[in-house]
Amino acid sequence: MDTQPAFPVLVCLRLLLAVLPLPGQDLLKHDHQLSSPLTSYLRLNEGLWLLENNINPYTGGAFHHSPLLLSLFSTIVPPLPIIWAVSDAVGAWALLRIWRARQGLSPQKGTRSNAENLIVSVYFLNPYLLLPSLALSTSTFENTLTLLALMFASEGKVSSALLAIAFTVHLTPSSILLLLPILMVLVSSPVSYLASPRPFHGNLKRIPILFGEFTLYWLVLVGAACIMAGGSWDWVRASWGASLALPDLTPNPGLWWYFFTEMFDHFRPFFLMVFSVHLVIYILPICIKFQHDPLYAAFLLVGVLGTFKAYLTLADPGLFLSMISLFPEVHGYLRHPIVTTLLHLHAALLLPLQHVLWVSEGRGNANFYYAASLVMGMAGGAGLVDACWAGMRIAVGDATVWAEEKVDGEKGKGKAIWWEVVQQ
Amino acid sequence: MDRIRGFLRRPRRPDANVARLRRRRQAAAYIHRNLTKLTTALFIIGYAWMLLIPLSSLSQGTYIDENALQPAQVNTYWNWGDVHTADLQLYQLDGIRERNLTSEQRAEFFRIEFSKLGLAASIQNYTFSTSKGIISGNNAYAVMSSPRAAGTEAMVISASWLSRAGHGALNLRGTSTVLSLAAFLKDYSLWAKDIIFIISDDYLHGMHAWLNAYHGTIPSNLHTDPLEHTSGVIWTALNIDYSSHSFSHLGVFYEGLNGRLPNQDLINSFRLISHYTGGVPMTVYDHLEPSDFVDRLPEQSLFPSWVASFIQQSSQLQQYGYRVRNVVRHLGYQARGMCSGVHGLMHQFRIDAITLFAVPADGPHGFHALGRIVESTLRTMNNLLERLHASFFFYILTSPGTFMKIGMFLPSVILVSVAMLFKGLGEWVTAGWVCEISEASLKDNEAKKPSPAKGTWRNRRRPLLSALIVVVTTHVIGVLVFNLVCSRWFAEYPSFLAPAIFAVVSVIPLLLLPLLSTNAPEAAPTSMLLKSSNLCLSSTVISIMSLLNFSLAALLAITMGVPLVTSYTSSSTMTSRLRYAGYCVLAWGWLVLVPGEVESAIWNWEVLGVWFAPFICIVYAPLVMQAAIVCLQGS
Repeated sequence: MDTQPAFPVLVCLRLLLAVLPLPGQDLLKHDHQLSSPLTSYLRLNEGLWLLENNINPYTGGAFHHSPLLLSLFSTIVPPLPIIWAVSDAVGAWALLRIWRARQGLSPQKGTRSNAENLIVSVYFLNPYLLLPSLALSTSTFENTLTLLALMFASEGKVSSALLAIAFTVHLTPSSILLLLPILMVLVSSPVSYLASPRPFHGNLKRIPILFGEFTLYWLVLVGAACIMAGGSWDWVRASWGASLALPDLTPNPGLWWYFFTEMFDHFRPFFLMVFSVHLVIYILPICIKFQHDPLYAAFLLVGVLGTFKAYLTLADPGLFLSMISLFPEVHGYLRHPIVTTLLHLHAALLLPLQHVLWVSEGRGNANFYYAASLVMGMAGGAGLVDACWAGMRIAVGDATVWAEEKVDGEKGKGKAIWWEVVQQ
Repeated sequence: MDRIRGFLRRPRRPDANVARLRRRRQAAAYIHRNLTKLTTALFIIGYAWMLLIPLSSLSQGTYIDENALQPAQVNTYWNWGDVHTADLQLYQLDGIRERNLTSEQRAEFFRIEFSKLGLAASIQNYTFSTSKGIISGNNAYAVMSSPRAAGTEAMVISASWLSRAGHGALNLRGTSTVLSLAAFLKDYSLWAKDIIFIISDDYLHGMHAWLNAYHGTIPSNLHTDPLEHTSGVIWTALNIDYSSHSFSHLGVFYEGLNGRLPNQDLINSFRLISHYTGGVPMTVYDHLEPSDFVDRLPEQSLFPSWVASFIQQSSQLQQYGYRVRNVVRHLGYQARGMCSGVHGLMHQFRIDAITLFAVPADGPHGFHALGRIVESTLRTMNNLLERLHASFFFYILTSPGTFMKIGMFLPSVILVSVAMLFKGLGEWVTAGWVCEISEASLKDNEAKKPSPAKGTWRNRRRPLLSALIVVVTTHVIGVLVFNLVCSRWFAEYPSFLAPAIFAVVSVIPLLLLPLLSTNAPEAAPTSMLLKSSNLCLSSTVISIMSLLNFSLAALLAITMGVPLVTSYTSSSTMTSRLRYAGYCVLAWGWLVLVPGEVESAIWNWEVLGVWFAPFICIVYAPLVMQAAIVCLQGS
C-alpha cells in the first residue's frame, strides 16, 4: 500500500483515542443518537454477561445483537475500544480502495494523494462516524462490513464481496437493499459512467449464480449463528425480528419510533409492513435508473438506509455523507449542498438538546425530540434527493457552459434554465 | 406487451414540464430579486412582534392544567397560636442578629430547634473554592417523614438567611415561618410526601451546596460531606422570603438557572390559594399592578414626568407599561441565565420551585396570612400523583393572571433568525457569480454616453477554507479569553486585564488579514463567504437557543440581527476601520463597559454553573468578530 500522509496519522490518532481514558465516554455510551438498542455497547455487555452466567441472552427481550458478535466477543476478544478503532481504520482503508477501483487506479498504489487524503480524513473525522465509534456502537462494524463488501465488489473479488455482504445482512437485515447493486457491480464495473449513461453493461445471467452463492454464504452464517446460540432460534426473533417488529421503542434519530409509540396496537402490524416495504421499494427504481453506474446506486441506497432505516443512529447518515467523497464528478451538480449542510447542522445541534430537554430536564416531551428527528429526516432526504438528481444531471452536460451563456439576467438561478434543456 | 409499453411511454405533454420548470425558475428568481425586501420585512415583523409581546391582547388567562392540584379547596388549620409560635421564634432570631452569632452557631441553633420538635435534623458544612477565594457556610435542615407514604417523594420549604431584598437584609421572618411551620405541620397526618425544611446559609450558595449534596452531583470546587438525613425525590419546593415588618402582596419569583422555568401550574395554583385562602393578592416579582396603587402612581409610573398627563393616565398605556416592566425583568433574569431567587437553583434537579417574596409594606398581612397560604399550597402540592406536566414549562408571565404561550412569542425570534438565514444563503449565491464586463463593451461605453455596462455572468469558485479558518480562529480566541477571564489573575487585576484583553482581541484579527485578502478573479472574495457562513451560523444559534432560553435568543436577535446583516466591506479605509471598531465594541466591549456584570457572570459560572459567561465568550463574541473581519477585509 502506498503511503499517503493522512492515513497513518489518522489511524494513530484514532488508536490513541481508543487507548486514552476520555472524559465523558460514559455519556457517549448512553447517548441515544449514537447507539440504538440494536447496536448499543451496554446491551452487548449485558448479553455477554448473561452468556457467561449460562442464561440465554435472547430470552429477556433486552438483547438484540447477532450471535456472531456475541461469540466474537465472548470467545475471541473481549469488547475493547481498540477493536472499534481498528474497524474504523479498515473502513477508511476500504473507502480508499473503492475510490481507487472507481478511478481505475491500481488498488495498491494511488496517485492523487490530495484526493486520497481527503477521502481518508472525511471518514475518520466525520463526527457522525467518529462519535458512534467512540460510544462503542456496533454500527461501526456494520459500516465497515458494508464498505468492505463494496470494496471487494469494486475490485471484482466475487466470493469476498458476497461473504462480506452476507455478514452485513446478517448483522442488519435492512442492508439487503445493497445486495442488488453489489451484484451489479460484480458483473459490470465500478468505473464512473454517470456522465455517459448506457444500458446495463454486464452479464445478467451471472446474477442468479452470484445470488445463489450469496444465499449459500448467508445460510452458512445462519447455521453458524444457530450453533453459537445453542441450537435455538430465539436469536432470529430477537435480532432480525427487532428491526422488523420494533419491540423496543427507545427514541433514536430515525423516523420509526414515534409513529409506533403513538399507534393503536391493531394497526401496528400493517404499518410495520408499510415501513419495511417502503425501504425495499427504492431498490429497483434506483438500480434501473443508475444501471450504468451500480456503485452510485449502492451509494444512493446507503442514503436511503441512512434516512429511513429502523433504529437509525447517526452512523447511518454518516456513512452516506462520507461516501459522497467517492464521487467528485457529481459535486459540481449538487444544487443545494449548503441547505443540506445547514439542515444537518440544525439536526446535529437539535437532537442532543431536545433529548436533554425531554429525558433529563423533563421540560419537553417526546414531541420535541421527534421534531428534531424530523429535521434529521429532512437533512437526510435533502442530501439523498440532491445526490440522486446530481447523478442524473451530470449525464446531460456541463453546468458551467450554460452559466456562461446566461447573460445579465437574474444571477444565481442558472441551473434552472439549464434544467429546461434537460427536460426538452 | 406492446400495449403496456405504450402505456408506460405514454407521450406526456412536453409543455407541462417546461411550464412547471419556468414557473419554478421565475419564483426562485423573484425571491432572489426581492431578497432584501423580504429579509427587511422579516426583520421588521420580528422586531415589531417583540415589542408587541407585552400587549394584553396577546396574552391569555392562566388556568390550572393538572386536575389533581385542586388549589384552595381545603380548610386550613394555621391559626393565631401558630402565629404566636412564629413571633416567639422571631424574638429569638432577633437575639441572634443582635449577638452577631457565627454561621456555625446559627446553624446549630436551627438544628436544636428542629430537634426539639422531634424531627431528624442536621447541619451541612460546605466550602466553595472560586477564583475570588473561598466561600464557606453551614446549612441546617430537617426531614419530616410522611405519615402516609413510604417517603419516596418529598416537598421542600426553605428560607435563606439573607433576603433577596438586598443590602444585607436578613430573612428573619421567613426563617421563623419555616421554623414555626415545622412545628405546625408535624401535627397533621395528611402528608403523603416527606417535607424537608431547609434554612440555607447566605443567599444562593448555601442552597446550591445542599442541593448538590442531596442529589450526589458535587462539583469539583465544592467540598462537603454527604448529608446525614435524606428523603425521596423532591418534586416541588417553596422558598419563603419575608424580610420586612409586614407585607401587602406576595410576589412570585420564578426564573431559574440557565433560563429554566418551573411548571406554570405551581404559580397558577399559588395565585388562586393566595387570593382565596389568604386574601393576599399575588404579584409578579415585586411589581404592583397599576390598579393596586392608584395613589402611588408617580413613583411607579413608566413615563417620565414631562409626558402629558392624559397619556400617563391612560389605563391601556399603564397596563402596557406594567407588562413591559414584567417582561423586561423576566428577560433580564432569563437571558443572563440568572436565577431570580433561591428557588432557581432547584430547577436543574427537576424540582418545580418558586420564591414567595413578601412585598414590604406597612400592612395589612403578616404571619397569619402567610402561614395559611403556605399550608394550603403544601396541601395542593401534596395532592400530586405524578410530576407536573411537561407542556407547561415555556411561558412568559405578563401579569399575575395572564401569560403567553410559547407559540405567541417564539415566532418573533424565529422570524429574525430566518431573515438572517435568507440573507446568508443569498450572500452564498451571490458569491458564486461574477459579472465580467468585456473590453469591447467597455470601449463602447467610452465611445457612447455612459449606459449600463452589459456584462457576462460567470460562475466562480467559492473556496470556503480560508473563511473556515477565520471562523475557527475567532472561536479559539473566544475559548482562550474565557479561560483567561475565569483565571485567578483576572480576579485579582480586573481593572488592568479587562482593557488589555479587549485591546488584544481587537488586534489579533488584524494579523489574520494578510492570509485572507487574496481575491483572485476566479474565486469569490473571502469576505463574502465569511459573511455568508457567519449569518448562517448565527441564525442557527439563535433559532436553536430560542427554545432553550427565549430571552437569550431575543437578546441575540437584537444584538446580532441587524449588525451582522449589514456588515459589508467598505471602499474607504476610514469607514471600514470605524465599522470594525464598532463591531469590536459590540463583541468584547462588555469587558470594559460593564465590569460588574462580568464579575457576576463569572461567579455564576464558577459557583452555580450558569452557561452565560462561556456562551458569550465562545459563541456570541466570535460571531460578532467575524462580522468585524468582514468589514475589514479588502480595505
